[in-house]
Amino acid sequence: MSQFRQRQWGLVGLIAGPIALLAWNGVVAQIRYAEIGAQAGLNAVHHTRRFSGPHGDVLRMFTSGGASAAVGDYDNDGLDDIFVTDSDAGKPNHLYHNDGHMKFTDVAARAGVAGGNDAKSIVSDAIWFDYDNDGRQDLLVARFGTPILYHNEGHGKFRDVTAGSGFNKFGNTIAAIAFDYDNDGLLDVMFGNYFKPENLFDLKTFFVLPNDLDNAVNGGGVTLWKNLGGGRFVETTEKAGFGKHTGWTLDLGHGDFDNDGWQDVYLACDYGTDRIFFNNHDGTFRDATEKAIGFDTKKGMNVDVADYDNDGWLDIYVTNITDEYMKECNMLWHNNRDGTFTDVSKETGTCSTLWGWAAKFGDFDNDGWQDLFVVNGLRSAGKENYIPVVVNLITKPGVDFSDIRNWPDIGNMTWSGYQKKKMFRNQAGQDFREISAEAGVDNDKDGRGIAMGDFDNDGLLDFVQTNADQPALFYHAVTTGAGNWVQFRLTGTKSNRDAIGARIRLTAGGLTQIREIDGGNGYAGQSMRRAHFGIGKAQKAEAVEIRWPSGQVEKLGSVTANSVNHVVEGKGLVP
Amino acid sequence: MGAAAPSPDEIFGQGIQAAGDKDWDKALSLMEQALAADPNNLRYGSEYRQAVVSRAIALHRKEGTPQDFERSLNYFEKLVKDNPNAENAWLNYGFAYVDKIPAAGSITQVILANTALTQFSKSIALKPTWIALYTRGNSYLYWPRIFGRAGLGVADLEKAFAMQKAEPKKSYHVRVYTSLGDGYWKTDNIEKAQAVWNEGLKQFPDNQGLKDRLSKQGDDLGAYIDNALDPNKRVDTNLKELWTSR
Repeated sequence: MSQFRQRQWGLVGLIAGPIALLAWNGVVAQIRYAEIGAQAGLNAVHHTRRFSGPHGDVLRMFTSGGASAAVGDYDNDGLDDIFVTDSDAGKPNHLYHNDGHMKFTDVAARAGVAGGNDAKSIVSDAIWFDYDNDGRQDLLVARFGTPILYHNEGHGKFRDVTAGSGFNKFGNTIAAIAFDYDNDGLLDVMFGNYFKPENLFDLKTFFVLPNDLDNAVNGGGVTLWKNLGGGRFVETTEKAGFGKHTGWTLDLGHGDFDNDGWQDVYLACDYGTDRIFFNNHDGTFRDATEKAIGFDTKKGMNVDVADYDNDGWLDIYVTNITDEYMKECNMLWHNNRDGTFTDVSKETGTCSTLWGWAAKFGDFDNDGWQDLFVVNGLRSAGKENYIPVVVNLITKPGVDFSDIRNWPDIGNMTWSGYQKKKMFRNQAGQDFREISAEAGVDNDKDGRGIAMGDFDNDGLLDFVQTNADQPALFYHAVTTGAGNWVQFRLTGTKSNRDAIGARIRLTAGGLTQIREIDGGNGYAGQSMRRAHFGIGKAQKAEAVEIRWPSGQVEKLGSVTANSVNHVVEGKGLVP
Repeated sequence: MGAAAPSPDEIFGQGIQAAGDKDWDKALSLMEQALAADPNNLRYGSEYRQAVVSRAIALHRKEGTPQDFERSLNYFEKLVKDNPNAENAWLNYGFAYVDKIPAAGSITQVILANTALTQFSKSIALKPTWIALYTRGNSYLYWPRIFGRAGLGVADLEKAFAMQKAEPKKSYHVRVYTSLGDGYWKTDNIEKAQAVWNEGLKQFPDNQGLKDRLSKQGDDLGAYIDNALDPNKRVDTNLKELWTSR
């Protein structure tokens, strides 16, 4: 830890007590959420895939992560819509059209995007992105299998264009992000793969599970796909420098971690070390794990990226497992501004969220400091606990963990179930205070993904929480006393049209904040593309600067509070 | 007539000197020689392990790497194979697994902790010494409640407690008062826990750990004991108090 950081954390100890009682940026808000899934028409029940055969129960357990949600305005009506996945055979995905006034209608079948859970494939994740820069959000559905790419045809219809896209490689994919890694104006795609590319429905080997529970190297790694234009993608995994990664990737996150204008990548991996790759500006990346974060042995689940302390450098939050029987602690990687990161999760109070899954940063009270919501819980079932059973397996001398035959069925046993979700309020970038119960989000579902958006355009961030084998929850923000806000919808011209990778630097009320537009950061969720800033009591943002992926830097005049602003690259604010 | 071969104590002393000089390879080699000549020597084994830990921390970040502990584990494996009746060699073999725990991942920690218990049990089967019973009993307490091992720990610690009551008082006896109380607490017998901590405080009135425990209740006490039994923290396995205690 640098001397600077040591000094700063020393101060925290002195001021943490009284400062918790103070308002930030003039905002004294009561962060509150109301769960309105049923009223809103958004309460899809997820179903994990059931496998036949003697090891079906174990395979079901190891593939229970596919409940995801992706936010995107597919019909360009100014209201964000939501795609929610299911995973069991024959079960449809859901496309919830935002009808306004927090009412949604499932139009997946009509739109042509309900399918994907066939006998050989499990839907696991989805992202919206405009791969052909035509101004309409296309949809990529990731699967244990081959992905499906849907082109948005307009008028609420989608067309499956996978066959001509180049996405023809089988993978046991659990996560996907879209970003422009070579800044050529076309969005590329990275898939995070959990198992190695074995067909789980027709096992040719029993040795498909992690070969080590702390340092596994027999997972699916990642694949990177370069967008060639014309709806065609080509795999560049090896060429770009990701070929040696064979971990059990659970999530991917991208961001410009070193402020050089190029997108870098963080990989959260189950059963072993996370990885961080810096962009070499030539279509390749370098694995900087050892120097930047060190090698860990944890169960990485989530990557979210945000500048939680408003120092102008992106930080990274990774969930792991911290439960009665395993004390890993999450990782809040504070960016040291020199290509290295320091885990400050313990110091900031964000270490323990039990069996963590998705986590998302967002300014829930609009005070200018990004708060954090974390979902958790693996399997809530009967009274019997699977942990002692697992420990009997683990401690058996000479046991081969990768052999599926060695894993006992879970049956109706519970494993890290009935866990209360965790919401944290950011206390001016110094630490976080848990507010889950008072915020009304301390449900005990088996959470997986979080998709954040402002679905009623009221300047407060709402959530969809997906849950495995349970209904999704839809949290409408009913916070009182929140600060003012501004939002930006960016349209690239030279850059990719979605402006993924664009960085906005905003100053309001004496506080400078940054946001980067991302293409699916956070486990099993894609949040709204619009950048949301809380600005406290300020009536305007005094200065706004946008650094586009093309390298162009654009300065806007002042922006009034409580407004959604559309910015087109090279044209500034447009009506 | 040539010079007499150095005694195990002399070789061990040279090893200690080399460790002080951070000449790790030399230190470990000399200590291994001493142990080979006197495999049941508790002190040799303990100091050897401490040198391994010091080397790991000196050469690598934080608690060292798992590989840093392979040499001592391999050495003790061979030592007990060659000397299956050396109860203290088995004990140090178990401690060598404990020494590796902070450098390992969370699942591997479980495997190491369980394997350490196996070696401690072999030591106890050969000779149920106070240190072996205390060690195994205390080790059981590190396991989360869900595994139900705290009761086994209490059983060992009660035996160690009875042993120390029959002996002249030693400074290290306070450990059993502390751990036995923790074991009672972990098996939901708070009154017995407080009784044994109180008894310990009468014997060792300056002991801060006992004072802390007796000053706390409920969740505060739970958090304190959970922190004391955090498997991610390095356990001090240096046994020197056994031969330095008055």
